[in-house]
Amino acid sequence: MKREKIIFAFILMPFFLFSLNLNLFKIGTARIRSVFSVQQPANPSLKENSPYSDKKNLAFDKDFLQHKTSLSKKIMKENAQPGQFRSERYRIDGSGLSRIESIQTRDSSFSRDRFMVINEGNPYHVSERRYVPGQVLVRFRSTVPEQMREIAINTYQARQIKRIPGLDVYQLQIPEYMSVEEMVYLLRQNPDIELAGPNIIRHISRTPNDPYLVEQYALYNSGQEVGPPASPQSGTLRADIKAREGWDETIGSEEVVIAILDTGVDFNHPDLDDKLLSTGYDFVNDDTDPTDDNGHGTFVAGIAAAETNNGEGIAGVAWNCTVLPIKVADSVGVVAIAAEIAGINYAVEQGADVINLSLGSPGSDPFEQAAVVYAYEHDIVVVAAAGNDGGATHFPAAYDECLAVAATNENDERVTFLNTATDDEPWESNFGPEIDVAAPGDWVFSLYPTDLTPPGYLPYAWGQGTSASAPHIAGLAALIRSIKPELSAEDIMNVIRYTADDVNSSSYEGRDNFIGYGRISMERALVPIIISALYRKR
Amino acid sequence: MRKTCSLFLFVLLSLILISFSPAHGQEQNLFSAVSISPGIGFEYFTRTINWDDEQISKLRYRFIAVNMEVELQRGFFIRAVLGYSSSSFDATSDYDALTFRELPISLELDVGYIKGYILGANIKKSLIQSEELRIDASGEFFYCIGKKNEWEMPEDFVVEGSAEGRPTWMRASLGPVFTYTGFESIYPYLYLNYSKLWGKFHMEQTIEALSGTEDQKIYGESSVCIGLGFTFKLTESLSFKPEVNFFPYKDGVDSGIMIRAMYTFY
Repeated sequence: MKREKIIFAFILMPFFLFSLNLNLFKIGTARIRSVFSVQQPANPSLKENSPYSDKKNLAFDKDFLQHKTSLSKKIMKENAQPGQFRSERYRIDGSGLSRIESIQTRDSSFSRDRFMVINEGNPYHVSERRYVPGQVLVRFRSTVPEQMREIAINTYQARQIKRIPGLDVYQLQIPEYMSVEEMVYLLRQNPDIELAGPNIIRHISRTPNDPYLVEQYALYNSGQEVGPPASPQSGTLRADIKAREGWDETIGSEEVVIAILDTGVDFNHPDLDDKLLSTGYDFVNDDTDPTDDNGHGTFVAGIAAAETNNGEGIAGVAWNCTVLPIKVADSVGVVAIAAEIAGINYAVEQGADVINLSLGSPGSDPFEQAAVVYAYEHDIVVVAAAGNDGGATHFPAAYDECLAVAATNENDERVTFLNTATDDEPWESNFGPEIDVAAPGDWVFSLYPTDLTPPGYLPYAWGQGTSASAPHIAGLAALIRSIKPELSAEDIMNVIRYTADDVNSSSYEGRDNFIGYGRISMERALVPIIISALYRKR
Repeated sequence: MRKTCSLFLFVLLSLILISFSPAHGQEQNLFSAVSISPGIGFEYFTRTINWDDEQISKLRYRFIAVNMEVELQRGFFIRAVLGYSSSSFDATSDYDALTFRELPISLELDVGYIKGYILGANIKKSLIQSEELRIDASGEFFYCIGKKNEWEMPEDFVVEGSAEGRPTWMRASLGPVFTYTGFESIYPYLYLNYSKLWGKFHMEQTIEALSGTEDQKIYGESSVCIGLGFTFKLTESLSFKPEVNFFPYKDGVDSGIMIRAMYTFY
């Protein structure tokens, strides 16, 4: 019997040792740390280390530059006088769009027939996976001898899959009990290792084939020139709303309706006509024809939901969502409260999901507030522009039930009098505690009504103002409603707020009165966020 | 799935009732041949699971458990299992890990192993016993409840928030076991089971005023388990049982291993 007990004890020993390992993963981690001296703080910012915090896709820069060239050439081709490029610039303000015109001379050789359509014009379906599971890439410092490298790899309990000789990069299989992020974190503590990161999967983003997308830095900023040719400004790479990443998750649902309460829309615009509901209404003239006689409404509608991936014009934020045009402003951009509240009421009746109000002025109004609350209580996300005069947030944006939208520029800075000083009319995004989020509003490119476009011009224009910022948020709200229909309006507003990029955190960390929670990020609002073991609460 | 579970439990219950009924020529003493076998075991397996109707991930699972097997009647065994487990929901090389798209802000799991506890029971009834072959009917049910884990939202979020998640899953299997009894102390066996795995991952998200919950249901891709192993009797009381098992499904085969040591008191 004694012999049996000894044998049984020997059999139990491996189980005991295994259970020790099962319980004490952290001991293993600590052991690895102690082998290599820790040279970084115990909890370095994941913003710096995370491979997901800055998904720069430099490969597309070249495409965009090519696209930009083709756009300039196309505009030139359409001009009456070869070799001359006439541009229109617009400023959006309370009185609608005011035009600034310039003429420039450019090269004239161009033919659209020389371009082919990739993937039959369809967007590529992409893998959402961001890296190969269980693998990391490592490069040791050149001074580290071969033997030490092998010892290091073994210490991390990793296995070498491949070594890429020219670059001296090791592709490693990590132990099953560790996540990729944990292993990358540990490897980066090792002073002998020069580079360590996950084996990231690149993919072809869902990129629409609209030729003027290159002008829409708000959607994808490649650092391209921004604004009309007369006063080009250089943008900052990826100072944008991360639209491409968001579109990988959804391009919206036709059933989701964005009500544009503005100067009406151009029903004949080739980049908008198929997106419009015929049930729009004109509360200025009290008829069923909300045709745009100013340009502001068409411009705003285009930003939110222009026809996209149609090989023409620009891309809208919400590709597939529908626009309900409601005219509440007259031909010079004047909005009577009666028309506005009737328009809001109409949007509720028509089952709109989002209302965009690129309008406003100082001072609250009880009728207007009641209308906004009415829409909010009917689960409609109401988005409004904060104003462009550098003062306090305008109403209706300042109501609690509204998302108040400030403007940023191509460098992710809040638009101020200072950074628009070279403009013909400097302007500044309004501010105050009511500001929720921001979106690009400086030299935004969008649609212009065909019947208001002078001969020799194309029905597209640049414009500025928080009026241009608001429809970016309206489009994002429509996309969220498309994939998460169970979320309330309040929830959608909070998702937009909390997923914003705090782009002015170096000056004002967290929410502030200038850009609120930050410049919106379609990627974080729509694409699943990876929860890694590193974020586990102790 | 609920129907399958009910059917399984019904069959398991029937098996128990049938087992308690005395066979021909036997006395009506239920505990006439009682033996008790405590033991310890380890199991590791991977199962391909689907969720959200079409998405595929890998459930990697391992547990160490204490077992208590009681032979109520000759040829009729009931075994209870209490274990400590850790399981992970990994992506395969081509597919996503578990993703929660109904939460206000969508989340994707990449959290490594999640620890938990396992409760299980196994019933085995000898059906046919010849000189060199024994055929048993075996039914098994395991319930795994994961520990609740809490993760913070990434640090570059402008507000603080967290997500709490807990996986639970069940595994049920039923089928015959063919054991060769011709050798003196080694008894190789083969079994073919109808085996289902199902469960859910409950996730709660709280980010300031925003909150939401989502249950992501998971189902094992395979419904069949083929196992191969042997019982090695080191002494009259001490036995050792290693086993490998395979779970074929339409696009591949998952596998697992099990090792168990038992000490029998007669």
